[in-house]
Amino acid sequence: MSARLPDEIRPVMENGVPVIIATCSTDGVPNVSIVSEVYYVDPGTVALSFQFFSKTIKNVRENPQATIILNDIQGGRRWILRVRYDHSETEGPIFDAMDMQIEAIASATGMSGIFKLRSADLYKVSSVETIRNA
Amino acid sequence: MSESRTLPRVLVQFLDRASVAIGCTRDASLAPSIHYSSGWLLDADQRSIWCFIPEPFTAGLRASLEENGHFALTVEHIGPHECYQFKGTYLSMRPATEADREITARCRERFVAAVATLNPHVSPNRDLLRKYILDPAVAVRFAVREVYLQTPGPGAGRLLAQLEDRP
Repeated sequence: MSARLPDEIRPVMENGVPVIIATCSTDGVPNVSIVSEVYYVDPGTVALSFQFFSKTIKNVRENPQATIILNDIQGGRRWILRVRYDHSETEGPIFDAMDMQIEAIASATGMSGIFKLRSADLYKVSSVETIRNA
Repeated sequence: MSESRTLPRVLVQFLDRASVAIGCTRDASLAPSIHYSSGWLLDADQRSIWCFIPEPFTAGLRASLEENGHFALTVEHIGPHECYQFKGTYLSMRPATEADREITARCRERFVAAVATLNPHVSPNRDLLRKYILDPAVAVRFAVREVYLQTPGPGAGRLLAQLEDRP
């Protein structure tokens, strides 16, 4: 199953508001993390940065299913993406663009120098839905 | 099973100043789901947490909890980026009460204050921020088994407290 990201989601992916990602280990323990940004790759693919070894990184390599929530506070809604981890890239244009953005976010939040990109983890989008504020 | 312990005082204090919380379950196929928690409260037993979840984030919640009992809650103090993940076992669920909504209102104001302070020039106005934290529909209580550090940095993922052995 695959889905296309609508054009209107792109500004939300670039709004600087942290993103939520949920994963699950193969022994069935769910995990939920806050990450700085999800990157638009193409209409069916997003990327997340791998900076530190984490439960999220470990989980998706064992069980590729993940759920991402993008926060659109200004628009009064949240976007829910069901995704599957596909592969990682350690060089190339996607990696370079993410590396530059990570340093920009880190600098803006007073955490410059703490983050180093190890890989760009690419996920295929399975479904997209929105939840609006009441 | 080891003797049950209570949450360390530093984490109890953290829960009182935190500004956002996100719950997570998984279904029988190990697909994870996110359940925003509009409010939260440490139970009087000092080792279980109540999460107040709005209706749009209840899809699959009860079914997953009754099927496998796993629940995770990540809680952050926006601003200093202080963040912990509480993992544990489902205990109970009930409709949200007026008292839950009052607790949620206090959590909502902490969220609004934190985000507005973070960058007052680019943050949405306070009314928009308030509307973003929806009123709860249900209250979920889970027993905390483990607490992990999630503050960004190389120490993220470190086990900070273990209240029970894994089943």
